Amino acid sequence: MQSILRGAAFAALMWSAGAAGAAEYPQPLPEEPVPTVTELPERYPASWVFVHDLHFNSLPDGRAALVDVGAESHHLRGQIPVAQFGNILPSTTRGEIYVGETFYSRLTRGERTDVITIWDTKTLAPKGEIVLPGGKRGLFVTLRNSLQLTNDEKWALVFNFTPGSSVTVVDLDGRKILSDIDLPGCSLVYPTGARGFTSLCADGTMTSITLDAAGKPGASVTSEAFNDIDDDPLFMTPAMVGRTGWFVSFKGNLRAIDFSGAAAKDLDSFAIPAQAGRDPEWRPGGWQVISADRAGLLYVLMNPKGGEGSHKDGGTEAWVIDPKAKTLVRRIALKNHSVSIEATQQETPLLVASRSDGSLDVYDAATGAFVRTVARVAHDPMTMTAAR
Amino acid sequence: MSGLDKFSEKVTRRVARATSRRSLLTLIGGALTGAAVIPVLPVSRAQAQGHGHGGGGDPIAPQPTGNPQDPGDQTQCDYWRYCAIDGFLCSCCGGTASSCPPGTEMSPITWIGTCHNPADNRAYIISYNDCCGKSSCGRCLCNRNERDRPMVRPQANNDINWCLGTESAIYNCSTAVILGVALDQQ
Repeated sequence: MQSILRGAAFAALMWSAGAAGAAEYPQPLPEEPVPTVTELPERYPASWVFVHDLHFNSLPDGRAALVDVGAESHHLRGQIPVAQFGNILPSTTRGEIYVGETFYSRLTRGERTDVITIWDTKTLAPKGEIVLPGGKRGLFVTLRNSLQLTNDEKWALVFNFTPGSSVTVVDLDGRKILSDIDLPGCSLVYPTGARGFTSLCADGTMTSITLDAAGKPGASVTSEAFNDIDDDPLFMTPAMVGRTGWFVSFKGNLRAIDFSGAAAKDLDSFAIPAQAGRDPEWRPGGWQVISADRAGLLYVLMNPKGGEGSHKDGGTEAWVIDPKAKTLVRRIALKNHSVSIEATQQETPLLVASRSDGSLDVYDAATGAFVRTVARVAHDPMTMTAAR
Repeated sequence: MSGLDKFSEKVTRRVARATSRRSLLTLIGGALTGAAVIPVLPVSRAQAQGHGHGGGGDPIAPQPTGNPQDPGDQTQCDYWRYCAIDGFLCSCCGGTASSCPPGTEMSPITWIGTCHNPADNRAYIISYNDCCGKSSCGRCLCNRNERDRPMVRPQANNDINWCLGTESAIYNCSTAVILGVALDQQ
């Protein structure tokens, strides 16, 4: 009752205020059409970033936020559902966004369906889906390389884990499954050559598999062992500079893998230049810890309290590395403890650092100057993918 | 099933390694063995352990076992059996440290660690079975990554949802079941 009275008093107040201003504004505000739904441009500006929200507190309701980190306002441009340890993969050429996800017919029980859902970039509405057979899509904290594109973005590659490993090759034009390839002892997919992929293997090697025109596996090549998984393993997500993937290891060694040919080629490694001020040691830390800008500079999220088990603890600085000169160009002190980083692909890039509270801190990548915070875009911002 | 068999073999071998004298000494030194069972958030450990999940607020009421030989609070990450756990603690979710919450299903595929019981000074093999079929519990998140290795070595990776081989792959919480005493301590 009291609130009704208060509401009435408020309305009366507003009325009198409106009456006082009517002379100033002879025309009322125009009527607005209903329904109205916002649309997005078909190609997103390079200041936009896909922020995947694992939503650990409600995994079947994962999602991604589409965020303009370069704008003064209206940062959150839209959202896309990414259910149950899903993956989001924007195409650069097809005007579509692909989401690998898993549903149960009764949310948490019933029949399992794994799908690639196809979203339209302009309307952000679903325009189709491809059902993935076998209920085997790999379910783990999201890594970009569990869903990738090959063959000029005509095919998708889905990594499966049951705990046996395999890869499903999907024709996005025909919306059909082309093949399932067993991958014993190897994990994830790194697009390789014109039509194929590489996986990293538990014995420290990598295996590259060429696909024929029908999507069936052809020749495979296994490398020498280069990944010291016991002592200094590589984080699974590389920063891509063209077709070269830059991986960083737990202890801060950078390794280049050339994925341009039919078989991936190890281009060797170098250590991030050692720096003073370790407590006890600077090491890469976080979830997505390395990113690259258009000029090919690398950004690595660094944790000053490095040691065994610190690799997911996040970081307090981003170190900018010139991989050609093998030098440390700059250290960017982050305003907040951060989980993942991503550089935008703008001419003047921004560096985005996600925080465990779901906010993004944005920095001028060239100077390290703090630009803005975009508050609360996700619950658990794990991976980020800059528009390109 | 061949994939499962192969995996079991790896787990078994890993248990053999984890129960070596060297790793027991490491454990007693306060480190952890193995990794765990379920997805974790890569937030800083301090944040995860300081607040549990959901951020800040009042603490969860303690749940001591009442058994002096099984000391500690089963709602806390520092309870001795949780030395290699990752995820929501079933003790906070309607289950206990060794049983799943009502209506969930315990995963038959697990990760295993070796934990030191400070009361009887024995090392125990602990099986971190996940509970599956209801959505994320959301209470008492523990996040430990010592000896965790990336997805390239799945048997040592705690980012994986181990609700495999269950009716539903939906993850709810994790238990820490005593499988037995580690051989070196007998």
